[in-house]
Amino acid sequence: MNHIEEQLWNYLDGLGTEQEREHISYLIASDKVYQQKYNELLTFNQELESIELDVPPMAFTYNVMESIRNEAASKPLKAAIDNRIIKSIAAFFAVTILVLLGIALANTHWDGTLGDNMHIPFNLHLPSLKGLLNNNALKGFVFFDIVLALYLFDGYLRKGRSSQNM
Amino acid sequence: MQSKLTDIELIEQTLAGNQSAYADLVKRHQRFVFTLALRFTKTREDAEEVAQDCFIKAYRSLQSFGGNSKFSTWLYSIVYTTAMTFLRKKRLDTSSIDDEGNFLQVENQNAAFENNLAENKSRSFYLNQAIEQLLPDDAMIITLFYKGEQSLEEIAATIGIEPNNVKVKLFRARQRLKEKLERNLKHEVNELI
Repeated sequence: MNHIEEQLWNYLDGLGTEQEREHISYLIASDKVYQQKYNELLTFNQELESIELDVPPMAFTYNVMESIRNEAASKPLKAAIDNRIIKSIAAFFAVTILVLLGIALANTHWDGTLGDNMHIPFNLHLPSLKGLLNNNALKGFVFFDIVLALYLFDGYLRKGRSSQNM
Repeated sequence: MQSKLTDIELIEQTLAGNQSAYADLVKRHQRFVFTLALRFTKTREDAEEVAQDCFIKAYRSLQSFGGNSKFSTWLYSIVYTTAMTFLRKKRLDTSSIDDEGNFLQVENQNAAFENNLAENKSRSFYLNQAIEQLLPDDAMIITLFYKGEQSLEEIAATIGIEPNNVKVKLFRARQRLKEKLERNLKHEVNELI
């Protein structure tokens, strides 16, 4: 019976070769078992074709579009700015730095002497760094750096975990 | 009133920045997407959430839609993956019809159905009740085939299996549906099929 049903479903779905379909058509016309089963499946098939789709709430489209609008509005500035603007600003700074570097290198006296017309216009009195770099200040500075690094690393791990859960 | 433009034209307009074109696409496909979602979630509230999520995901990745297949096929594959993710989150087992857990679930649904039997007697009611009792995969294949205007190849692309497997799954799904109808309706089944 299962084989008959399979054949008949293929026939109803329009599957199989022309020859196979002709053969099933002949069996339906000549064999009572096939005929009865075919009528049964045909009715069932028509019932399936007449299934009605469910209707979502009235405000469904509005809610979808509202979510899309909210998402666009809450988009971070980093993602909202056109990448071309960022690239052109970066290119401007890169070119400026290269030009300045070029001028500086072109005006450098590689023999290590000061140029004839280069002189420092006033006497510089730099503070002594020895007082700042005593043992305790250095330890405090390193300790602060370590705490800051751990804080940033923790933030990075949390961000990675939350994006994985999304 | 729905737009007369094709799906592809509406997508092009959406990509050009016209959001109301996307609203037309949503209106056009919302009933089917909602029905598909309902096949998985079984409650209207969850189905609404899943369907809404699908349209938002589709909007986000509209640029990646190449137009190689129908928009509906692409959209239904989003519905399938979103609904499966939803089910995984809800920890519902949808893998096999033979699992005891599924039988328990179906038995409970049968009990609920019997309570409503006397009240509702329309033909589509019986059929919809039987579809609700099917496993999500079976219900989805039947819905895609009969209401989604999807060929076996398109269904295969939607759920990521071979067309031959879809044919076998469709055959089995229809058999199970028929069995459930017969079980539910008992004597009245002769009138229906």
